[in-house]
Amino acid sequence: MKKIIIFGYNNLSYEAISRLDQKSHEVLIVETDALLLKSAVEKGYKTKKLDFRSDDELKSIGIGQSIDIIFCFLLEDSKNVFLTLSARAIDKNLDIIACASSAQSAEKLISAGANKIIDPYQICGQKIYELIKKPDITNIIDHTVFGRDDLHIAEIIIPIGSYLENTYSSHLALNDQYNLVLIGIVDKELGDNLHFAIGEKDHKLDAGDIIVVLGPSREITAFKQEVSNV
Amino acid sequence: MFAKPLVYFAYLLKTSTYYQQSKQFFYNLLENPQSKIKSYFDLFMICLVMLSIFFLVYSVEHELNSTGEFFEKCVVTVFISEYLLRAWLYCDSHRIIIKEYERAEYLNTRFSVLKTLKKVFGKKLEYMFSLFAMIDLLAILPSYRPLRILRILLIFRLFKLFRYSNSIKVFADVLSNKRFELLTLAILMGFLVFISTVAIYLFENNSSGGNIRHLYDAFYWSIVTISTVGYGDITPVTFGGRLVTIALILTGLGGLSFFTSIIVSAFNEKMHTLRENRTYAELSRFDNFIIICGFGRVGQEIASKLEKDQQPFIVIDTEDDNTLLAKEKGYLYIQDDASKNTVLINAGINSGASSVICVTGDDVINVYITLTSHSLNPKINIIARANRDDNVKKLYQAGASKVIQPFEISGLLAAEYAGQPVAFEAILGILHEQKQILMETLVVYPNCLLEHKKIADIDFKKRKLTLVGVISSNKIHLKRRNRYKVKNQHFYFNPEHQFELQAEDMIIVLGRKYSIEHFQDQIEKSKLRPKK
Repeated sequence: MKKIIIFGYNNLSYEAISRLDQKSHEVLIVETDALLLKSAVEKGYKTKKLDFRSDDELKSIGIGQSIDIIFCFLLEDSKNVFLTLSARAIDKNLDIIACASSAQSAEKLISAGANKIIDPYQICGQKIYELIKKPDITNIIDHTVFGRDDLHIAEIIIPIGSYLENTYSSHLALNDQYNLVLIGIVDKELGDNLHFAIGEKDHKLDAGDIIVVLGPSREITAFKQEVSNV
Repeated sequence: MFAKPLVYFAYLLKTSTYYQQSKQFFYNLLENPQSKIKSYFDLFMICLVMLSIFFLVYSVEHELNSTGEFFEKCVVTVFISEYLLRAWLYCDSHRIIIKEYERAEYLNTRFSVLKTLKKVFGKKLEYMFSLFAMIDLLAILPSYRPLRILRILLIFRLFKLFRYSNSIKVFADVLSNKRFELLTLAILMGFLVFISTVAIYLFENNSSGGNIRHLYDAFYWSIVTISTVGYGDITPVTFGGRLVTIALILTGLGGLSFFTSIIVSAFNEKMHTLRENRTYAELSRFDNFIIICGFGRVGQEIASKLEKDQQPFIVIDTEDDNTLLAKEKGYLYIQDDASKNTVLINAGINSGASSVICVTGDDVINVYITLTSHSLNPKINIIARANRDDNVKKLYQAGASKVIQPFEISGLLAAEYAGQPVAFEAILGILHEQKQILMETLVVYPNCLLEHKKIADIDFKKRKLTLVGVISSNKIHLKRRNRYKVKNQHFYFNPEHQFELQAEDMIIVLGRKYSIEHFQDQIEKSKLRPKK
């Protein structure tokens, strides 16, 4: 189970929480505004009121120990930069996802140590552009992968001793056996990059490699079970 | 006696489609500022006027030969036809007749032919006395032999150019907007010239020892001095004359600067319109462009992407800062309120625009623009941005084809990243076309190599492509598995080997740009081949 802290309770954090799988994630919301805190409590979320400027308070909620990911979704970019800097100083391996409202802030957040930048305006612009350029594909991805339809993109890590170990990607034939489409593979022998499955290279699968597939959730679960059946 | 045939004839014209069509054609040719043929016609007329002026200048020292005479006749014929056509287009006489007749019928009074015809001719006379019509007439008249004496009036042909060039028209417009100030100045200058003419004549006439022989000389001197030109052919010699000169030069300087400032300020006021006219003219060259309403962060992001794609677009925003940015980037823009009908019409919502994007920061404005766009052109693709959840439905109701919520998709992406970072990068990589890998739809054209082919028989592996699914609205596939309804068609994910492709289906493949383009070329070529 991953432990996540979300700083700031607003539209963005609300959408993120509702999309997170509640079973595999434990979420805590940190907010200073009493009214917002109250509405988060009403929705049934775990909340905490604290001052993010103090390192001690950050440590007190588990940063540097048990927390895996933090979302810096405060409304002001400067606050997000400050929070990212403090959190990074406490924990080198923490996954920090921060929101930025301009391209300049995004650069600052990256240099402050954020792993991923979420720029709502840039994402929205990109989305509209895709809708204009490739309406069919964007609509399908929206309806299926991002939408509530039962079609998902999932990543599966090959565990040690799995039946997939020492097999070749060309022999997977996921579309026949599991009704899944293989999108790509992270072959750890070649680094952390994702190689798209477009028949360019036959990858030898080892433990630790990651397979990215697209398909109905039932099939994904079945395949996951089969893979981790050691 | 004439009443019946006249009214009958008027109704005949009203119902005749041929008459209406030809009138519309000539309207498009001569008057409609939106029509393309008008611009060609204007250019033709400009050339014709220039040529005729050239012949006029040539004929000052040379005798025109028969070709020249013939050309002159042709020019005059064109001018006369244009003059008559414009007079015809100016008003619909049959409508006046019908209106008068129906009024008389309704009020149960007698329909007076004479009164009606008077009204009709009154309207036509109104045209004949308009400025442009006078210029047109003066450009024609001197060609009539008995009026050869008016030959100099042929110079009026140059004034005809006003008709055909937009910028000259705008210049005239600018001046006419400032007519009150110009009139004031003209009256003031007139007085000054009058006073100085009389004064200089009194001081400098021949009997007083000066150089001025008569009043015309005095007037000429006044004009030359007040305009600060000062040729010096007539110079004052008496003390009084010099005093008049000093006074006149000083007031002349003042007057000139006043005149300059009027013109400059008039152009400043008109600059906005001038620039907009240029924007519209440039826009009219495209026939598949996008209207972006709101040039905030989202609008800027879209614009920069579209620019890279060389997809034409126009930006509409009310804010000074945003329009300044659009100007700096060299985009086409209009600084105005996009919720106004006229603004959207001018931006081409009915003439060439393919999509409207409403991305202002205010949901209320987005709803309003969506509604306006939809009412102006129900078929246009409208993509709108909603900041709040509860406004999504309203935007769809207002006619949006698609609503995007920045915070929703960002939240979703953040969650996706937290859960499955690799999968997240994969999907973003495909969507943003990083590393030249993309997902693309290929259309199965009738008669092409894919039509009636089973999925098992297409070797995607050899083509270095991965098949993701098929989009189709064909009912034949409805019994197939993995069906997802997307709008009015179905998406068949990972189709079985037996899935037989039909014409107009679309296959979605994943692959490198080259492989996809190569496959697409093969499909396109195969559809042209005759069927065996």
